[in-house]
Amino acid sequence: MKVLAAGILSLLLVLHWKHGAGSPLPITPDNATCTTRHPCPSNLMTQIRNQLLQLNSSASALFIAYYTAQGEPFPSNVDKLCGPNVTDFPTFHADGTEKDKLVDLYRIIAYLGASLGNITRDQKALNPKDQNLHSKLSSTADTMRGLLSNVLCRLCNKYHVSHVDVSYGPDTSGKDVFQKKKLGCQLLGKYKQVIAELVQAF
Amino acid sequence: YKMLTLWTRIVQASFIFLATESIGVLLDPCGHISPESPVVQLGSNFTAVCVLKEKCMDNFGVNADNIFWKTNHATVPKEQYTIINRTASSVSFTDISSLNTQLTCNIYAFGQIEQNVYGITIISGLPPEKPKNLGCIVNEEKNMMCQWDPGRKTYLETNYTLKSEWATEKFADCKAKRDTPNSCTLDYSPVYFVNIEVWVEAENALGKITSDHINFDPIDKVKPNPPHNLSVRNSEELSSILKLAWINPSIKTFIGLKYNIQYRTKDASTWSQIPPEDTSSTRSSFTVQDLKPFTEYVFRIRCMKNDGKGFWSDWSEEASGITYEAKPSKEPSFWYKIEPSHTHGYRPVKLIWKTLPPFEANGKILDYEVTLTRWKSHFQNYRVNDTKLTVNLTNDRYIATLTARNLVGRSDASVLTIPACDFQAAHPVTNLKAFPKDNKLWVEWTASNESVNKYILEWCVLSDKSPCIPDWQQEDGTIHLTYLRGNLMESKCYLITVTPVYDDGPGSPESIRAYLKQAAPSKGPTVRTKKVGKNEAVLEWDQLPVDVQNGFIRNYTILYKTALGNETAVNVNSSHTEYTLSSLTSDTLYMVRMAAYTDEGGMYGPDFTFTTPKFAQGEIEAIVVPVCLGFLLTTLLGVLFCFNKRDLIKKHIWPNVPDPSKSHIAQWSPHTPPRHNFNSKDQMYSDGNFTDVSVVEIEVNDKKPLPEDLKSTDLFKKEKSSTEGHSSGIGGSSCMSSSRPSISSSDENESGQNTSSTVQYSTVVHSGYRHQVPSVQVFSRSESTQPLLDSEERPEDLQLVDNVDSGDGILPRQQYFKQNCSQPETSQDISHFERPKHVSSVSEEGFVRLKQQQISDHISQSYGSGQMKMFQEISTADDFGPGTEGEVERFETVGMETAIDEGMPKSYLPQTVRQGGYVPQ
Repeated sequence: MKVLAAGILSLLLVLHWKHGAGSPLPITPDNATCTTRHPCPSNLMTQIRNQLLQLNSSASALFIAYYTAQGEPFPSNVDKLCGPNVTDFPTFHADGTEKDKLVDLYRIIAYLGASLGNITRDQKALNPKDQNLHSKLSSTADTMRGLLSNVLCRLCNKYHVSHVDVSYGPDTSGKDVFQKKKLGCQLLGKYKQVIAELVQAF
Repeated sequence: YKMLTLWTRIVQASFIFLATESIGVLLDPCGHISPESPVVQLGSNFTAVCVLKEKCMDNFGVNADNIFWKTNHATVPKEQYTIINRTASSVSFTDISSLNTQLTCNIYAFGQIEQNVYGITIISGLPPEKPKNLGCIVNEEKNMMCQWDPGRKTYLETNYTLKSEWATEKFADCKAKRDTPNSCTLDYSPVYFVNIEVWVEAENALGKITSDHINFDPIDKVKPNPPHNLSVRNSEELSSILKLAWINPSIKTFIGLKYNIQYRTKDASTWSQIPPEDTSSTRSSFTVQDLKPFTEYVFRIRCMKNDGKGFWSDWSEEASGITYEAKPSKEPSFWYKIEPSHTHGYRPVKLIWKTLPPFEANGKILDYEVTLTRWKSHFQNYRVNDTKLTVNLTNDRYIATLTARNLVGRSDASVLTIPACDFQAAHPVTNLKAFPKDNKLWVEWTASNESVNKYILEWCVLSDKSPCIPDWQQEDGTIHLTYLRGNLMESKCYLITVTPVYDDGPGSPESIRAYLKQAAPSKGPTVRTKKVGKNEAVLEWDQLPVDVQNGFIRNYTILYKTALGNETAVNVNSSHTEYTLSSLTSDTLYMVRMAAYTDEGGMYGPDFTFTTPKFAQGEIEAIVVPVCLGFLLTTLLGVLFCFNKRDLIKKHIWPNVPDPSKSHIAQWSPHTPPRHNFNSKDQMYSDGNFTDVSVVEIEVNDKKPLPEDLKSTDLFKKEKSSTEGHSSGIGGSSCMSSSRPSISSSDENESGQNTSSTVQYSTVVHSGYRHQVPSVQVFSRSESTQPLLDSEERPEDLQLVDNVDSGDGILPRQQYFKQNCSQPETSQDISHFERPKHVSSVSEEGFVRLKQQQISDHISQSYGSGQMKMFQEISTADDFGPGTEGEVERFETVGMETAIDEGMPKSYLPQTVRQGGYVPQ
């Protein structure tokens, strides 16, 4: 079942993310060959930190924009409806090595990216005129895509990791509107919480 | 001939056949050229091969030898051909320079008819150069635009493609537009903090080349959005600060920013900038210090990434704010005028001051406070909203102080000493100068040795039309050079006065005139003549009114010329108002015009013309007076001469005429006429018996018409002869010749000169004769001792008398006519003579005949009647009818008789009497 879900989410990523973004990388042995199109910059970790900061700085605003856009009862019941109760969310081990943290980060961002793709798709149908929300969702997704690229570049160039197994959240396409809104809101709440932790970890 | 006709028909048939074949060739080419669509590099070599098809070769009887090449319809020289085999021929070109060349392969069918086989177009150009100087700019939240230098022109369609990729993925290409082959804009904002590699690929038919790759983090190429919602507010505590606040662009959340903050006063055009080091970190507010109180400032702000990487944002929208008020920073300019007064013991003093400029007022001036101190203990306070105050002061010395007040406080006091009435101003400034510079009128002076508190500069426009309304300004006592801060006009004469102000009162003013900018006079001087001589003229003119001068009149130019001559110019100093033109030509019309010149040009006045006289003044007098004097002298001498020779002259002109009343006649005849009858002749003549005289014109040619000229000549001759005939006669004979006065004026003159003697004789004899009733023949002789009688004794005198008499004896006749024919009959008579052919009317002619008949009848009837009457009738007839033939004959007769009588002793018996047919009885 998980494999099927992963396959579907991968398809969603392909459909809703820009080409190549968020492709699951296989975890390969450290000695496996891993090449990139061009060398990674020397300040890659700084860029990763800045990306996390960038995401963190906008996460709260995105969360607010989202539940505000969903209308009642979301704004008045944020804690109940938008609590960070996301199952199967990848774990992050802040006390791990840089490589471990980068792998965890990759999984988390890949998960968030796929979820964000679902949310973006749902909101374009549910709130097609809310450009503020769409803009924030798009900007966050773009940043995540860049973060994934950087993490991959770091893992590949420095740790020669060419593959990481990733997992994705539930597909919302078959759910009702409220469930779509609720799942999206919960995910963004989780995202806001997680990204703050990640900033601290890096 | 038959062979030639046959050959022509064959050729025509062949042509038709070939044309038909040609259609087939178009559909199915007779060969082809390889390469089909060549694109060659400019300057390179190129070879094309034309291959014929066997079928065509057979049809047209041609092979590769018959191929010839053309480029753009010009045949290529055969030297460039190469026969490869029987069907193929190649052509080679070196150094292709044309961009577009039409190359055709042709044959001569049947060796004569040119036939195109195939054609291609050779396109030439250059391969793209490697794009250089690739650079990108990321517009926050918008897009990323990259630019490069595409290099030389390729002349070919060249595509420039911007390629970009991350380390892990590649992005879509950005194709540059045709019209902007040097840039391309990605329509999305790249992701920050991920290095992106960008390069440009240029490609055309001759090649493909790629620029150097650039790899950058888009955050380092970002151009942020400008800060927005800039606001400005002041501080009541500090009048020298303004607080700015703004909202940063969203990019500020993950990058640090630095700022440029610029400001200016509202009316200024240049910006001042806050030191960059004060704005090098991210912030959303800033306090600007060291500003002027109560001044409106305008601000703007921009930002960029604080590490200096990237680009400055655009400037924000401008925002303005006014600093809070402060107390006036300077005392107002303060001056006074004493106005004329009729109140004894008081003088109205008008205190005037200037409003402080905003940068000194530091706020809105609420009012002014004026204090007048006569003595130290005597104060007068005034609060004035205006900038003037008129007070009546005594003749004592006063100290006036002035302060300006605004919301925050009051200015320092401006102190002015109004001296007593008897104060004598002194110590003026020296070397006062005024000059324009930089569109301002500058005034410079040298201070006196005294300590000066301040200077007052006053100025006004000098005009003949309006009064001098002065403006003024105050300068510190240390100033010796300043400019007038009023609204000055060009071409106006300003009278500038500088007055130093000392502790004890104002010093002596000094004045000077100046122009902000001179111009040519708006009117020229009107020149006129003051005096015009034969060879010179004094011109004069009035000084131009100051309103039209427009500048300092530096000189005048007088231009003068004659109607045909060249114009002569004379420059005259501006201090003159008259000038003497010399070396002029007399009796000539001169045109003069005059220009007045300032430093900026001149203006001509109206033309003026004058004519020099023919003679100089006094020249006529110099000629006339001597002439008159000479004439007078001559006259005087003549008179003196005449006076001295008066006896001689008298003798010649006025010979002594014997007074008949004192003469007596010797009784040598039996009867002596009574003496008292002598004057009766006059009485008779004055009776007016002859007033009704008719003029009778008688044609001479009644019987024998003659030519006109001959007629007149004949008439003249006859009359002359008749005159001669009776010239020797005296008395009556003169009456009979009375119709001849117009024959010769010289005769008249001559006769006039000699009339006296003749008349005297005639009168004497005539009178004596006429006033007698001679029943017997009477002979009378004057016994006077006058020269007349002398002439009798002297034959030569007598001869003279005869000549005179024969000359005419006109005077008596004239007198006669004058007495009796005052009408123009005389002239008629003259015209009758002068125009002898003039024919009188029939009635006149008839009248003449009738008159003659009457005369003859009368004579016949009166025959034997009174002598007096008969004589009158005859005289009348003779006078008016001298031209009749009968009378001419009669005159001739008389002449003959006269000639006969010449040998006779002197007798005073008129012959006419005898001739007239009567003899005194």
